[in-house]
Amino acid sequence: MYLRPSTLREACEALVEAPAAILAGGTDFFPALADRPPPPRILDLSRIDGLDGLEIIDGVLRIGARVTWSRIARAPLPPCFDGLRAAAREVGSVQIQNVATLSGNLCNASPAADGVPPLLTLDASVELASSSGTRCLPLAAFLLGNRHTARRPDEILTAILVPVASPDATSCFLKLGARRYLVISIVMVAVLLEVAEGRVRSARIAIGACSAVATRMPELEAALIGASPAALGSLVRPHHLERLAPIADVRATADYRSEAALELVRRALRRCDGAAA
Amino acid sequence: MRFDTPATTNPIDQLKVIGQPTDRIDGPLKTTGLARYAYEQHDVVANQAYGYPVGATIAKGRITAMDLAAARRAPGVLTIVTAENAGKLVKGNFNTAKLLGGPEIEHYHQAIAVVVAETFEQARAAAALIAVDYAEEAGSFDLAAARDSAEKPEASDFGGPPDTSVGDFAGAFASAHARLDQTYTTPDQAHAMMEPHATLAAWEGDKLTLWTSNQMIAWGKADVARTLGIGKDKVRLISPFVGGGFGSKLFVRADALLAALGARASGRPVKVALPRPYTFNNTTHRPATIQRIRIGASAEGRITAIGHEGWSGDLPGGAPETAVNQTRLIYAGENRMTATRLAVLHLPEGNAMRAPGEAPGMMALELAMDEMAETLGLDPIAFRTLNETEVDPENPKRPFSQRQLVECYRIGAERFGWDRRRPHPRQVREGRWLVGMGMAAGFRNNLLATSGARVRLGEDGMVTVETDMTDIGTGTYTIVAQTAAEMMGVPLESVIVRLGDSSFPVSAGSGGQWGANNSTAGVYAACVKLREAVAQRLGFNSSDTVFAEGEVRSGNRSVPLAQAAASGALTGEDSIEYGDLAKTHQQSTFAAHFVEVGVDAFTAEVRVRRMLAVCAAGRILNPKSARSQVIGAMTMGVGAALMEELAVDKRRGFFVNHDLAGYEVPVHADIPHQEVVFLDEADPMSSPMKAKGVGELGICGVGAAVANAIYNASGTRVRHYPITLDKLIGGLPENV
Repeated sequence: MYLRPSTLREACEALVEAPAAILAGGTDFFPALADRPPPPRILDLSRIDGLDGLEIIDGVLRIGARVTWSRIARAPLPPCFDGLRAAAREVGSVQIQNVATLSGNLCNASPAADGVPPLLTLDASVELASSSGTRCLPLAAFLLGNRHTARRPDEILTAILVPVASPDATSCFLKLGARRYLVISIVMVAVLLEVAEGRVRSARIAIGACSAVATRMPELEAALIGASPAALGSLVRPHHLERLAPIADVRATADYRSEAALELVRRALRRCDGAAA
Repeated sequence: MRFDTPATTNPIDQLKVIGQPTDRIDGPLKTTGLARYAYEQHDVVANQAYGYPVGATIAKGRITAMDLAAARRAPGVLTIVTAENAGKLVKGNFNTAKLLGGPEIEHYHQAIAVVVAETFEQARAAAALIAVDYAEEAGSFDLAAARDSAEKPEASDFGGPPDTSVGDFAGAFASAHARLDQTYTTPDQAHAMMEPHATLAAWEGDKLTLWTSNQMIAWGKADVARTLGIGKDKVRLISPFVGGGFGSKLFVRADALLAALGARASGRPVKVALPRPYTFNNTTHRPATIQRIRIGASAEGRITAIGHEGWSGDLPGGAPETAVNQTRLIYAGENRMTATRLAVLHLPEGNAMRAPGEAPGMMALELAMDEMAETLGLDPIAFRTLNETEVDPENPKRPFSQRQLVECYRIGAERFGWDRRRPHPRQVREGRWLVGMGMAAGFRNNLLATSGARVRLGEDGMVTVETDMTDIGTGTYTIVAQTAAEMMGVPLESVIVRLGDSSFPVSAGSGGQWGANNSTAGVYAACVKLREAVAQRLGFNSSDTVFAEGEVRSGNRSVPLAQAAASGALTGEDSIEYGDLAKTHQQSTFAAHFVEVGVDAFTAEVRVRRMLAVCAAGRILNPKSARSQVIGAMTMGVGAALMEELAVDKRRGFFVNHDLAGYEVPVHADIPHQEVVFLDEADPMSSPMKAKGVGELGICGVGAAVANAIYNASGTRVRHYPITLDKLIGGLPENV
């Protein structure tokens, strides 16, 4: 059954009747079918009004469930979103970016989801709607594991909510793969840095594709507070990344991921420093 | 037309149309979506139904039970065909495993059923309802583990003898001044062509028509007839456009048989496309190899002993990847040996992929040559030049028809700026990038095969060429049209080319880079016949008749070509058939590949910065499409060097990364600069066209050139392809 409700309420009611696969851009959904038929119930979000908003209200950027990567890449957003926008430009091809959504990227919950590290550094939350109401979850609480989220079967992710960081904050995103473009990440790093009076006031760092869920690096973040921005790269130590649990797969070994993550973090910190200057 | 003496001057030598860089005449059809591929033949027959394959989910064993009840009851289902109700099927001559398996299963995703329904979705949904029980058997899935059990395969036309030996290899190697003894590996690779295997099948009484995606129409027709136990005259294959093949579509695959069986059982035309994962495990792949190379050389760098041994695996009854063959021909050396061994592996069927044999063979050999040059303290080009040969090294009385390999090196080195290469690795740093250059020889034989065509001069003056030759994205339509235009003295726009239909004369087909030279030579032969018919009808003396500018001229007479057909169309049909020139003269194509890479000093990311291929491959029929072929092959070679590897599940026996997300290939943006130079050459031994192939030459050696550039940049010598980042990072200066 292919459902295309025109309101969020109808959509939520449909999910009360029976669970369904929720379809936004479809760029993960269709390839994942491989040679199998689609699931019996599909809920297509494309006709629902009000899910395609992208605006800052009261210091919070609201990214509607149907907002595509292309719109993020082109949006005039403050510098704290530079990392997210960089990720938007590196997700698949332009054709993919034109239909794929950030919200879908989060719900698909791949360990290599390019949207997750930048959104983790932005302290993003997700808004989940159901017929019994709406709740918000911090992104880190929403993502539970490989292809596993806290979304209940009767819920729809309706928006990503991102508090706008200080205007002084700089951010960046780096991704590494077997080829330059159109690549599934082996390692990716997002950094958001706030510098005041020549010292790091806060650092938020997230690494993806090196654990079942992309994760922040609190030990490293703490170690950077108060440091001079120019020195950040040299302060990163292997033990700061002990939270990572990379796997070996066809793209790279676990050891490679650990080493490359270290380098990518250093590089991202230097780049953020450059942007601040 | 018999071709058994070297070509002399002929109308092709005018080069008014042939040899000119010409846009593809089928280009507009492709860019506007009007070119019909097999699965898009929506209106050639009415009432089409859809078939969906079911593949085995074990690698080896037997089906013990198959429950079709739920699938039969599913909406829209017309029929389900399995080995049980398919009737007697005979395995095709070109197939190693059966295209419809059961109860015995020979490999993972071997087709075991096809579900036919009114719609694609209904067929797919019903296919998922089929429940199969298996008795799984242990299989052999690991080439390295099976290496010691590998046996001597039978000699074959393509593969040559399993063992060759000249002189005293062992003695010469043992006493050589400098020695290299290394083992290299190449992984299983997928063709990963864009268009999956697809067929529409329709029966009309006892006659079967297949609109399919196939490189070799006559082979396919014969194997379909054999498999179904019907006469060849009852089978027609139509394949006007092929969205890439790379060897994967040399042979009839499961889509064709399943469509034919589904159509017979349902009484409806049936179309079947293999789902993308099936294109990896249901069809063929390039088998992995283990290669041991030994080279012994004198102090000044002359090779005194060269040995190449190759191991690969295939299903029982299969054939080896003949990775050693180029080593019999490419370099001098009095004492030589090669050996090919084949292990039994119960993985999907191994078979030809673009430049079978040479592609993986050159990846190993040219890496070994780079290592040996370094050992000897010689520049890689100097070492190769020193060991150049003008004759077949196994049989010095047999010269190469042409061999301008040294000239390829010279021109390539100059254009690429090879003199800027630092002989010692890790000497050039640009920011975070370690930069290096590498080169390799390219070598691929030129193969001759009978090829026919029919050319008709219509009453309207249009020239129509018909041949069962295929255009698999290579540009065949255009070079065939160029050939006919040159021969008949008409503009390209006056030529219509019809390809890929088994009702047309049998051609060489597309494979082994033999298509261009042989198929155009067949068109040449047919045009010679047509020219004779034209001259005869006009009462001209055919020996001094000139065809030019739309006219036929003889002495002081000149008549518009169309006039010859005014009283009725004229047809010329013939084949090119080859004598012994390929036996008396070794015919090969040559290249020098140059690559510059950057290796990230911290993460080992490899970026190919520039590539150059200088090719000596006879007359280049269309420099534009030939360049595209070489660039495509170079890109594929970069994939082989850096990322392409089918990951084997050694417990379950299948290729895990069976889609284009898991099996990554290079994209255009990965290589900013590619250049191709063709030497001005014409080889009178090859055919009246004086052409040879280029489509596979471009991939042969290029992977090693990438590997050698990586070594020059980073100082890490990786002998096990692909050279993924994790194999390099440990050796980087910043990490040791």
